Amino acid sequence: MFPVYLPVLILLIVASAVALGMFTATSLAGPKKPTPEKMLPYESGSNTTGASHLRMSVKFYLTAILFVVFDIEAVFLYPWASLFRELGWFGFVEMLLFLTILGVTLVYAWKKGALEWEK
Amino acid sequence: MEIGLGEYLALASLLFGIGATGFLTRRNALIQLMSIEIMLNSVNVVLVAVNRFHPENHAGQIFSFFVIAVAAAEAAVGLAILIALYRLKKTIETDKADVLRH
Amino acid sequence: MSMWLVIAPLLLMLVSGLFIMLVDAFAKERAELALVTSVAIAVAGAISLGVLVQGGAPADMPEVLTRYLASDPFAHFFDVAICAGASLSVLLAGGYLREHGLERGEFYVLVLFSCFGAMILARAIDLLSLFVGLETMSLGVYAMIAFRRTSARAVEGAMKYFLLGSFAAAILLFGSALLYAGTGHTDFVGIGEMIASGDAENRLVLVGMLMVVVGLAFKVSAVPFHMWTPDAYEGAVTPATTFMSVSVKAAAFAVFVRVCMVALGDESVMTASGWPTAIAGLAVLTMVYGNVAAIVQKSIKRMLAYSSIAHAGYVMVGLVAAAEIGAPAISAVLFYLLAYTVSNALAFGSLVVMGSRGKEAVHYDDLRGVGRRHPMAALPFVIGVLSLMGFPPTAGFFGKYYVFNAAVQAGDVWLAIVGVLASAVGAYYYLRVIVVMFMQEPEEDQVLAVPMKSGYVATALAASGAAVMALGMMPGWFLDVAIEAARQLLG
Repeated sequence: MFPVYLPVLILLIVASAVALGMFTATSLAGPKKPTPEKMLPYESGSNTTGASHLRMSVKFYLTAILFVVFDIEAVFLYPWASLFRELGWFGFVEMLLFLTILGVTLVYAWKKGALEWEK
Repeated sequence: MEIGLGEYLALASLLFGIGATGFLTRRNALIQLMSIEIMLNSVNVVLVAVNRFHPENHAGQIFSFFVIAVAAAEAAVGLAILIALYRLKKTIETDKADVLRH
Repeated sequence: MSMWLVIAPLLLMLVSGLFIMLVDAFAKERAELALVTSVAIAVAGAISLGVLVQGGAPADMPEVLTRYLASDPFAHFFDVAICAGASLSVLLAGGYLREHGLERGEFYVLVLFSCFGAMILARAIDLLSLFVGLETMSLGVYAMIAFRRTSARAVEGAMKYFLLGSFAAAILLFGSALLYAGTGHTDFVGIGEMIASGDAENRLVLVGMLMVVVGLAFKVSAVPFHMWTPDAYEGAVTPATTFMSVSVKAAAFAVFVRVCMVALGDESVMTASGWPTAIAGLAVLTMVYGNVAAIVQKSIKRMLAYSSIAHAGYVMVGLVAAAEIGAPAISAVLFYLLAYTVSNALAFGSLVVMGSRGKEAVHYDDLRGVGRRHPMAALPFVIGVLSLMGFPPTAGFFGKYYVFNAAVQAGDVWLAIVGVLASAVGAYYYLRVIVVMFMQEPEEDQVLAVPMKSGYVATALAASGAAVMALGMMPGWFLDVAIEAARQLLG
């Protein structure tokens, strides 16, 4: 293992040394005259608005929950798609059942108003 | 040196340990939920690695698909309960949830 | 026996779950969802009972159905217990939710899907189906506890159970992965054969086994993995508590027994790992702690939560005995779980019936003098606690008798003695319910809980009461069925 990864290790050491060295050099050599203006977070020149920790609306969570569930269920579609021919009608019917169940839950979420943004 | 099952198991154990430590030491329910996800993913590492050494019926690969899907469902239910808790108490710190501790 | 009949209970759960979701989403008027749901679950249970007494599934089941799920008498026996518990819980919900203004269709959908997961769990013969079944069941239960989402108690109980439950599931899952790593198999039989032949990587198997047992002990709420139980049980609406304490526990024990006897049942594993001794230790802790902690509770719901912990201890005594003598002890476990299911459903149902809108009966004080004012409402409670206590001729008596008898036959006399002493302690808090109901008078300024009038709850009480008496009057018939199921499990 060692000879193969030796160049990577050397690169890692050199890169860290250069980065650390630059930071140390600037902080030692550069003059420091802090003013309130300078201590502001840099936002491309414009003034900052609001706190940096934004409080997300709870509506995002609701959407996230639905996204997570429906998105991840697609994980079963990929193996099925790649073996579509071998699985034949059996796989097709099986997947149709799976999608029907997902479809029913989607209709349910829709009718219950979980997809409405304004509520 | 060949990477064998042992290395994968060591990696998975490390991940699992990180997850378990996070779960036990943090008191923020969201972070505890994330720790559980790390633990579940460490399992996926084991499953896929073992599948390489016992490839007969791809049991490990299939298993890991189900773990991914179930983990998503679990996260969804967990987030839903978390929102309900936040709406009631305006916090998700688990040690502030103490109505049941008389 | 058609193959369709064997899988009909599972399909019925799934289809009726989806159907009720759609009805709930589209129906304008209040539909009688409780009725539809309880009938669907009861029919599923009845089909399984039919398959069970007809001698089980045909031998020529297609491979798709048999690779991950068993359809043996053991699974069908548990179907009966799970469906009985779920169907009774739904009937209770039909009365309780309406009375307390909580009627929403989601509850029934959650019970149906959770029950589906429980039935998968009882059939699981592979680590994969174990995990999927366990999570399907548990996710439904987490949501069910948080059902009363305006109550901080309910949501906190749900959060606690969710976090600890998912943590335990992750431990169980890592253990499963290690068993797979150690043996190269995910099916219980394959794991058992690899271990027996000595080809398994023993260190991995031992660690994996330990983690799986811890995960399962958590689900059956064995001490010291019980922390979530009282809070979750207390926070949940009572019908959900009923479901958790009976169906979920029965399903968890089903897979516990299957893992121990099929995957880890080899003589060499038992001596090398000493799991029977470890479970015996858990059983003692669970019985003693559950009973002692139940005594000091003021809330009857919490008392019943600790009592259900104690009952898990008695069941584990049977499991320990099964390691030694096999089928007779397993059949005692099966009988015990069936008896416990109907008795506990009866006790929780009686607690439900004691309260009406605005005043739910929760504490002992709420029951003062109810027995004299409303003797008919108090009668089911008396039968329920007597059966949980193990008083003849109720179901609970024979359950305890068979389990302790199995322990004695297996040579674990000390375990049987601890069990009998622990149940003697338990008699105190069970009898206290009767004393409070019949021999105490309410305080002057106390708000009296008035029993609710509901056809659903009355039906549930009548059905579970009848089942308690039937199991107590003719235990032999049920035990014979259980013995046959246990024999076929061991092959």
